[in-house]
Amino acid sequence: MTVALRGFLVVQALLTATVVLAAPQSPTVVSGHLVLEMDGAHAGSTVKAAVVAQVAPGYHINAHVPSLDYLIPTELKLEPVPPLALGPVVYPKGKPEKFAFLDQPISVYEGRLLVIAPLKVAASAEAGVYTLKGVLNYQACNDHACLPPASLPLSLAVKVVPNSESLKRVNSDVFTGIKPN
Amino acid sequence: MTKRIQIVSGALLAVVLSVGLYFLNARWIAPATVRNVKAAGNHPLAPDFTLTDINGAKLALSDYKGKVVLLDFWATWCGPCRIEIPWFVQMQQKYRDQGFAVIGVAMQDTANSVNQFYQQFRLNYPVAMGDDKLAATYGGIFGLPTSFVIGRDGRIYAQHSGTTSADVFRAEIEQLLAEKPGAEDSGFTPAGQTEEIDVGTPGEANSEVPGIDITKLSAAELTTFEKQLADTPCTCGCKLTLLRCRREDSACGVSRKLAREALKQFEDAKAKGTPSASSSAKT
Repeated sequence: MTVALRGFLVVQALLTATVVLAAPQSPTVVSGHLVLEMDGAHAGSTVKAAVVAQVAPGYHINAHVPSLDYLIPTELKLEPVPPLALGPVVYPKGKPEKFAFLDQPISVYEGRLLVIAPLKVAASAEAGVYTLKGVLNYQACNDHACLPPASLPLSLAVKVVPNSESLKRVNSDVFTGIKPN
Repeated sequence: MTKRIQIVSGALLAVVLSVGLYFLNARWIAPATVRNVKAAGNHPLAPDFTLTDINGAKLALSDYKGKVVLLDFWATWCGPCRIEIPWFVQMQQKYRDQGFAVIGVAMQDTANSVNQFYQQFRLNYPVAMGDDKLAATYGGIFGLPTSFVIGRDGRIYAQHSGTTSADVFRAEIEQLLAEKPGAEDSGFTPAGQTEEIDVGTPGEANSEVPGIDITKLSAAELTTFEKQLADTPCTCGCKLTLLRCRREDSACGVSRKLAREALKQFEDAKAKGTPSASSSAKT
């Protein structure tokens, strides 16, 4: 690729990005989904689920424990579906960031976000597929404006198998480094 | 040296091409694809509203005719909004006697939080709770804060999204206060970056499909049109259909634009008597 072409592409990309960012629309700031650490679960066990979310570049969402009482926290809400019960959710620690609209840093999430939710499977659980549903509630801002509180809908099918069947670890890219149950 | 010339040539070519594309879009493409967009310099009348403020008093925009108004859509949970409030309190104090007023409209908030904030920050102007319907009449409020600077003639002269410098507000307010009523349109120059002003019509705001004026459709045509929207996915990333996105996220600019385009196509088809629209018209 010639130097001139490279220069052309860089400037063109910057100009295009400016036009796209200037377009008035309500952006989808957080995308993501729920995943399970195993390809199924046994009755009486605890298996980890995780929300793998991505906050759009240039935006942040408030940490689960916000720095100021008026900020809306990020919160995972999952509806328990017997025989699945939700254990204590583990949120990442927020990153202190300074923004133009505040004179002190606030605790936020930016980029990739991982929220861990342990699922307890009742000992009496029968084999079958149970669909867990919920939302990740968040409120996003950039450096000069905020978007209304929003919810990312989540759904996860959990397959409960007989204890005689072995399970495989899956989604290792998400769960590597997280202590197994 | 040669490398530098090549880089500069490439960058220049990109700028020239982009400027060309911009004018091509502005002149031919955008006018053909976007309806109801007001041109810059066109100052639409601020849609009237009547609310009850948090102290229980009537708050109607029409009561402010003859005054310069700063209409601020904000929320207590919004950091960028909170930074502007003390400025507005000062401006209300400073310009009130010259015929200026601030009106605050709290969005997606609780009356309790707004009341507490009102007391704590000693707001000296009326604040009411807003809703999506009111936001839709102002073209949809995509982010907070969003402020409208309204002249004595009741027209919107500037729209600012996101935190805006106090100096910009002051300059615009002083300019409008200095204009004789009726002369604002020719003399007003925005002091800062202002958004394109695209307020909704009452037909769009009070619609079963928020933001879309369906008043010209018969009941049967509306059913067909709604089905079309229900069969079309929205491309804003919400994973909903156009119909659901309009109803569940009326501030979404993407679904509003797509639904308006769909309505135009539907009405064109109806005018030409093509089957998709005309069959429903006969039922």
